[in-house]
Amino acid sequence: MAPELAVALPAAGAVCAAALRARPRAAFSTGAILGLLGLAAIILTAPDHASDQLGLAMSMPAASRAVVIAAAASVALVVALAPPNVERSALLTWGLAGLAAMTAIAAVPSLDLVILIVLALAVLQAAATGGRSFAARMRAPALAVGLLALGIALARMQGPPSLARFAAVALVGGIGAALGTLPFIHEFDPDERTATSPIPWLVFLGPVIALAVVSRAHDLVPSAGGAFGAMLIGLGLLNVGWGSIASWATENGAAAWHYSFMADWGLALCGFGLALGDGQRAAILILFGILLNRWPLYIWSRQALREKTLHYRPVNLLAAAMLAGAAPFAGFAARVLLLRGATQLYWPLALVIGLGLLLWLPSSLRLGRSLGLPRGRAAVGVGIALAVSVAIGLYPQPILALAGL
Amino acid sequence: MRARRGQVADARLTDFSAVTGVAAFTAWLGAALIVLADGRRGLALGLALVAAAFAVLAVADGDALAAVALLAGGGVAAVQRVRSGTNDWGLMPPGSTSRLVLVIAAGVIALWIATSVTTGADAPLRFAALAALGLLGARALTGRDPAVVLTAIAGMGLTVAMVAGLAETNPGLVPYIVAALITAGLSILPIGQTRGA
Repeated sequence: MAPELAVALPAAGAVCAAALRARPRAAFSTGAILGLLGLAAIILTAPDHASDQLGLAMSMPAASRAVVIAAAASVALVVALAPPNVERSALLTWGLAGLAAMTAIAAVPSLDLVILIVLALAVLQAAATGGRSFAARMRAPALAVGLLALGIALARMQGPPSLARFAAVALVGGIGAALGTLPFIHEFDPDERTATSPIPWLVFLGPVIALAVVSRAHDLVPSAGGAFGAMLIGLGLLNVGWGSIASWATENGAAAWHYSFMADWGLALCGFGLALGDGQRAAILILFGILLNRWPLYIWSRQALREKTLHYRPVNLLAAAMLAGAAPFAGFAARVLLLRGATQLYWPLALVIGLGLLLWLPSSLRLGRSLGLPRGRAAVGVGIALAVSVAIGLYPQPILALAGL
Repeated sequence: MRARRGQVADARLTDFSAVTGVAAFTAWLGAALIVLADGRRGLALGLALVAAAFAVLAVADGDALAAVALLAGGGVAAVQRVRSGTNDWGLMPPGSTSRLVLVIAAGVIALWIATSVTTGADAPLRFAALAALGLLGARALTGRDPAVVLTAIAGMGLTVAMVAGLAETNPGLVPYIVAALITAGLSILPIGQTRGA
């Protein structure tokens, strides 16, 4: 199966669902059919197999393909079990658009095209009706595009060795700005709907952009590979500390979830920066955790956050344990791999990461409590998210094999 | 005879370097106009200059079709920009001294990097790409009016395509066509209203 089809089908689904907006049932069924066909096309696309049907050698690297499949599963789960007050066809439209963009970013052969896709998507998201102004929503993505383009430009110029280091700085800064992690946190409006908020950058676009840049960085800046990895680890540690403490200390519940995504990304950046097998495996498992566990729980917690209902039921404690990365959930396996990789590289780093992991506990308890008491579809969804996390935590090998690790 | 042919070739090369040099400074001037202008005419002229300059640089790089794509994308965006927005040039409104300083500083730094720090034959392209990226990026970050931000973003799209031209291997036509489509598409995009703050 060609990657072109894996991009075209979800994109067609998003366009059809948007065009049929006035008839929500027709929009939902058309979008769902095309989305499922798109998911099938992504699964059937052989990893690293180049296709040249559009005059462009498109291929899906195994790690990016695995993340896109997880994103598709996550969208399917959330749309199927959407909270009652959420318009499912709108959620599906945005989900399919995100999937099409993710697949395109994963499949295009050059970073220039990745940047152009990011630019187009940023404008489309910012142009939609939302709580923040167009300029405010464009700011961070524009910075990401500028920094990534600057990094590529500097990497392609001939000059002194320090030029490659400056290119590495720009590339790492570009990743941070695209994700919306510290020091480029996207402006967050707690009342804004999820699709037009900064959350999709952290959950959907961030993973494929980071994978696209990290996988090409060693070719772009071969002489500054060490500096690139070190900066990723530094940025990761910064976000681990800031994200987990802010998630605990902030007053607003939705903002606490936003910071918790940043904290998880801190661990993933550390994993990417280690440039060791265990680090890459840990990063992939953390990205799966963000997509399949943290994001669905965030969506199902929105109603309880608005009603400010807090609960300490067993399900809240289980959700908190999952978010904190306790055993036997997926986050635990990821943290073990990360600590093992850090120990191989430089054991004091493992000590720092280990101390940072302790900061997850208070914020996770708070987030688990903010889930309220899930009922109906949300309860089923939370159950599925917990079960998936346990399954991955107990036996992560199929996920890692899917990602080619 | 052979010496004479060599002189003609050298003269053509010098002419071409002069043309690419002028094109590079035109790209800087276009980006500077986008930074300094708030009105539709100033923004449209700036975008048109950037697109035209990049097209000349693409021709100099041996990519005539890429130049056509850049001109078409930039041209459509510039025409659309001149048809909507405030009805004036809006050049250097009061309080724009900092913008003027930015324009000059970005030009000087880009020129220094392109000619002194880096080496190789594509100095005009390097200067144009760095100057445009810096100026348009700054404008996109600081602008508040959607028309201004969209114009800067459109220019950034064209600049990313030019960055693809810096690669050792020929990037092909695809980045230029995608950039042109994005630039043209941005100009017809309706901007949604904000709810509340």
